This record gives sequence, C-alpha cells and structure tokens, in this order.
Amino acid sequence: MEKLSGYMFIAAMLSTGLATIFYLMYAVSGLRAARMQTAGMTMTTGSVSITSGPRTAAIGRYATMLGWLAVFTLLAALVARTVATGHGPFANMYEFSMAFAFGILLAYMLFERRYHQRILALIALPVALAMMLYANTIPPDIAPLVPALQNNLLLTVHVAVAIVAYGSFAIAFAAAALYLVQLFIAWTMNRDEPGGWGLPRLDVLDDIGYRAVIVGFPFLTATIILGAVWADTAWGSYWSWDPKETASLVTWFIYGAYLHARVMRGWRGKRAAVLLVIGFAATLFTYFGNLFFGGLHSYSGLG
Amino acid sequence: MTEEAQTRPLPPNGAPVAAAAGPTFMDRVDRVLEGLWHFLSSMRVAMVIMLAIAALGVVGSLIIQAPPGVLVDAQAKAGWLDEIRPKYGNWTGFLDTLQLFQIFNSLVFRILVATLTISLIACSIHRIPGVWRTTTKPRVDVGPQFFEHAPQHEAIVVRHTPAETLAIVEGVMRGRHYRLLTTDDGAIHIYGDRFRWAAWAGLIAHISIVVILLGAIVGGMFGYRDAQFTIAEGQTLPVAAEPGLSVQLIDFTDKYDTVTGSPIDYASQIVVFKDGAEIDRHTVRVNDPYRYGDTTFYQAFFGAAAVMTVTDASGKELYSGGVPLAWRTNADNRPVGSLTVPGTGNVIWLVGTLGGGDDTIKPGQIQAELYTAGEASQIGTEVIDQGKATTMGDLTITFERETQFTGLNVARDPGVLFVWLGSLLLFGGFAIRFMIRHKRVWGRIVARPNGGAVLGMATLATKDVSQATDFENLVTDIRAALQTPAQS
Repeated sequence: MEKLSGYMFIAAMLSTGLATIFYLMYAVSGLRAARMQTAGMTMTTGSVSITSGPRTAAIGRYATMLGWLAVFTLLAALVARTVATGHGPFANMYEFSMAFAFGILLAYMLFERRYHQRILALIALPVALAMMLYANTIPPDIAPLVPALQNNLLLTVHVAVAIVAYGSFAIAFAAAALYLVQLFIAWTMNRDEPGGWGLPRLDVLDDIGYRAVIVGFPFLTATIILGAVWADTAWGSYWSWDPKETASLVTWFIYGAYLHARVMRGWRGKRAAVLLVIGFAATLFTYFGNLFFGGLHSYSGLG
Repeated sequence: MTEEAQTRPLPPNGAPVAAAAGPTFMDRVDRVLEGLWHFLSSMRVAMVIMLAIAALGVVGSLIIQAPPGVLVDAQAKAGWLDEIRPKYGNWTGFLDTLQLFQIFNSLVFRILVATLTISLIACSIHRIPGVWRTTTKPRVDVGPQFFEHAPQHEAIVVRHTPAETLAIVEGVMRGRHYRLLTTDDGAIHIYGDRFRWAAWAGLIAHISIVVILLGAIVGGMFGYRDAQFTIAEGQTLPVAAEPGLSVQLIDFTDKYDTVTGSPIDYASQIVVFKDGAEIDRHTVRVNDPYRYGDTTFYQAFFGAAAVMTVTDASGKELYSGGVPLAWRTNADNRPVGSLTVPGTGNVIWLVGTLGGGDDTIKPGQIQAELYTAGEASQIGTEVIDQGKATTMGDLTITFERETQFTGLNVARDPGVLFVWLGSLLLFGGFAIRFMIRHKRVWGRIVARPNGGAVLGMATLATKDVSQATDFENLVTDIRAALQTPAQS
C-alpha cells in the first residue's frame, strides 16, 4: 500500500505537470486567437473572456482531463497512504504537502467547472506542483505518531478542514494574481483599460476571489476552532500563542479584513486583490511556519 | 481614520446645528460623541485594526515569546533573557522594552483588541435595528423608482388583469418557497423573501467573537492552573484546586519507536483519593486527560526522580517516597528537586547526576543539601551513594533508587464553556452567512388603461458576473408562467 501510494503520487505529479503544459498551450492558443481577432476586427475590450477556436477548445478539454487525472491519482495516493499508516494522511510534512496539493487541485477543478476560467490553472497548478515537488524531497517513511498526534478523529478532521481552506485560498490567490498581472500589463503598456489577451475579465476574477474566500474562511475558522479543541484535550489549554496558532490567526484576520474591504467603497478590485495575495502569503507562512519557528506544532518529521 | 467620520456625518437630527449663536458646548460634546460613534462603528476602522493585529501577530510568531509567567518574576525574567541573549544580542534589552517578548500581553495588543471588540459591539448594535426591520417588518411598497434603479430589475407587459397577474406571480414564487407579503393601493405591491433569518447569521458570528473573548476573560479571572504539578512514582500529592483530593503516581512510562527513536507514548498511571479513600484510577496520556469535577489533569512532561528515605535520630521514618528532580540548576544544568521533611520542616535539596562522565555526582549517586526549616541556613552537603544511609545533622538520609516523575498540568477553566459556545456560533454564523443569502424580491403590478397590466420585478442583489442569478431565473419562470393562457 505504501508503494502503491508512492506510485500514485508520481503519477499525480506527472499528470499535474502535463496538465500545466496543456493549460499553458491553451492560454497561448487563446492569446493568439484573441490577437488575430483584435487585428481583424475591432474587439470590444474586456467583454469577451476567451475567444477560442476549435483547436483551443480541444487543448482546453485535454488540459481539464489531465487535471482531473491528477486529482484522482493524488486522491488514490492519499487513500493508499491512509490505509498503509492507519491514520489520515496529515501527520508529517510529506503527507500534509500531498494533501495540500490535493486541496489546491480539487479546488481549482471545481472552480473551473463552475466558472470556466482555465487561465487560473496557470497559477494554481504550478503552486500545487510545487507542493508535490516539495513533498517529494521529504523521505516518505512511515513513523509511528508522536503522542500529541495520537488522536485519529481530530488529526483527520482538523487537517482535512485546513486543506479545504488552504486550497480555496490558493484559488483566491490565483484570481488575485491574474487580476494584478492585468493591471500591471496595462500600466506598463500605458493602456487605460486592462483586459484582453484572452484573459478573464477583472470583475470575474474579483468574483472568483471572493467566492473562494467565502468557502475558505469558514473552513479556516473551523480549523482554528478544532485546533483549539485539540490543544485543550492534549495540552490542557485551548490557546497558547504557539507560533502556528498565531500564524493561523494572522491569516484569519487578513481574510477577515478582506471580507470587510470588499464591501467598502474603493476597496473592491485592486486593493482587495492585494489583500488576497498577502492572505495567501500568510497561509503559506502558517503552513511552513513550524519548520522555522518551532513551537508545539514542530512534529513535521524533519527533525 | 477620522476622515470617515468627517466625510460621512450623521444626518442632522432635525435640530439646526449651525445656529446663529455658534455651537454651544453641548453641541460640541454631541459632535465629539457622534464622531466617536462613527469611528467605532466604521468598518474601515475595524479593518485597519484587524490588519494591525495581524501585523503584530506576524511579529509575535517570528520573535520568541516568553513562556507564561516568566516575565512577571524578575529573577526568572533575567534568566530567560540571558537564555535568548545569544540569539538577539544587544537588541535583547530594546526588544524587551518594546514588550516584544510578550506581544500578546503588551499594551499595544490589548488596546487593539479592546478597540476591535468595542468596534465589533458598536457595529453590531448599529446593524441590529436594520436587520430586525428586514426580517420582521419588511417594506412591501418600495415606490415606483425602485423598479427602475435597483441593481436588477425587469418590467413585463402582460395581458392578464392585475389580479390574475398577482395570482400567477404568487404561484411561481410560492413554488420557489418564497414568503409573500402583498398590499394593494391601486397598484399591487409584492414583497417576497427566502431565508430571512439568515440575515442574523453574520451578526451572530460577530457577537460570538465577544462571547469567546468573554470566555478568555472569565478563564483568566476565575480559572486555576498548575502547570508544574510533579509527582514521582510512589508519591502522593494533594491537589490545591480540589480540597481533600490527592493524586498518587503508580507508574510513568515513556516509549520510543525502536527505529526512529521518536516518542510514541507517555503514560502516567494515577490513583485518585478523596479524603484518603481511593475513588478512581486512570492512565493519563497526552490525548487522554483525567477529569475530576471541573478539574482536569493533562500529561505535560516527565523526568528523573529520586526515591528517598529520611529517618530521625530515633530511627523513626519521616519520609519515604519519590522526589521529582523537576528543575535544573542554573550553574551546570543538573536535575534538581526539593523535599520538605514532614515533622521537622527541614528542607533537602537533591541534585542529580548528569550521567556518565560526571565526576562530581556519578551515576548512582545523589547530592543532598540539608537546610533548616525555612531554608534559613545550610546544615550540610553530601554526595551520597545509592542504598547507603548517610547521617546529616539529626537526620539519616538514604537514596534508595532512581525513578521517574510525571509532570501534569492541572487546570480548571470555567471560561472554556463560553469559548466553545462562541466557537460554535462563530463557525455556524459564518457558514450560514456565506452559504445562505437572505433573498428579497419586490414586485409591482399596475393596471394598464387599455387592459392588461405591467409587472415590475426588482431586487437589491447585484448581477452575477458569471452566471444567471436567482432573480433572473425567477423572472424567467414568471415570464413562462405568464405566457400560458390565463384560466378564466
């Protein structure tokens, strides 16, 4: 089972890599189509999200299929790992990074299904791939759980919920990054109106970012609460300002600020997007935090 | 931040503020209070404070934070600062002055949290009347302008009479589970909503944060915590938090993985006595604390202990049992513990070995330092061998054998109930707030002079950028229903 998990993980990495390439081809093909259109006729800037020819559409379909393949192979890897270890695949950085990548991939695919913005993959998939490559650098040995982690229910629920939150925040980040990239391109090219090149419309990206956060935020809230419940069970104190606890609270505050910002005049759009980027930086800080700031969560398996 | 208070003043309460005589003192007070209220109930202010707390949190997770209690005790603080000095060098004193080693107890942090809490309460109070009105007394007649300027609006010309049109619209909306209110004053006004109680979810989520903070305050004021409850194997100790209760440690076990060497189990077998009678037995593990009433015992740490026997000059046994060597000496980091001899009040400090290679106190030896009652003066110091009775002063001290102690965290927190209640409301509130929206739709039916009617539909919800909204679907359904011939 442990071996099967390893093979499935490699398959997942390959499919994610391939999917990324296909999404890139899709973007290039769409960009070319958009260019040709701009050259041929007056294009109403920013009103069409993607102008795809049949070729582009076919590449897009393959990319999507590969994306789902990555989701399912990674899921298989995680399930096999769970069977092999007897606990949820969240006990060390190897397992957790796989799960994080899975969260990003799944969140992306679900958002693609709903919003049909494949360009988001150009950011979301490389992030997931980076997570998997990172996991790949960690020895996948199965070690027994340290006493603090010996709570199968809370280990599974606390971290599974965290994965959903982190995955959603990755999508929000992808949307925000694409938003800011478009502003940046418009700024460097001295164009008044950003958009075009087959990239998603700004208001669509703003909306996707928001949708992703309203999924992720309650889940992050649940992660922190479950963490507090666990800390109270294991250590006798629901909150100790442990660095990882603190970092997760910081993340919570940043997304909380974002949710308030978005309903305020003048904060929608660019500033909200900046907050989403900061929020994801905080998410990564929370995620990798235990590696460099020690504390109660320092059982990463990396000594 | 005050900018908002200036740019968005309250509408005047009917009183002419700019009276000819100029603002009176009370006017000024009013203005200051109004400004303060605006400051506190402003979302922009709340957002800025949230970001500021986040920034402090980043600092707090990057800079080592002092363990609780350390900075209160001057000696412990000096020791702790010395410990971290290698890391922060000359900055140590400066960082300490800025309270950066205790950020979450610092003045700045407290002020920010207090302001945010007040702002939260102010915002909530500000919103309650509006939410109350929307859920209980919604406006049915919103005026004709609304149907031209609402974010989403539709006008449909129908050939049915207004009454027939109303029946059809009602049918469709009821089918979509809308609650309907209608009035008729020549024009028919329709109000329909769904999930009206969802409007409270966001408010509840916000107030629940106050409940959690309240729990933390209650816990801090009325809670009890002894994070240093150490018992050696065989030792029985009274629990300060529960009069009459005492705990005996039968055995402590620590197990390690044979391959990786990482710990796999810490277990303290305890017997619990109430007024001397055994009432319970439990094995306390990291994820399996022992609860007695409101008090809970958690596995926290462990270490070496010494089993000692102390007899007086007549040979009467004064003490026999374990002594946890739970502390470390400042000078050379040796395990150290103390025993107050029952009956005499003498205090014996026991210093353990550092292990093989330690020439001062070899393995199998312990150093005993005997003091008079109250540790006024030292009677003697001796390194004694295991199993060998040694006389010091009037006492004969024997180091029987080495054993282990367990360190339990004994805690009672009456605030924790508030914390969990608040957490439940927080999660539930946010989940509902973001999943379920209070849907509101207004309709207006006006008869046309030449027969038929005009149906206006509108909602405050904004258009969705990427898919049909509920409003659009509803209007589509209504259109379809209106197409079918009216039953006559």
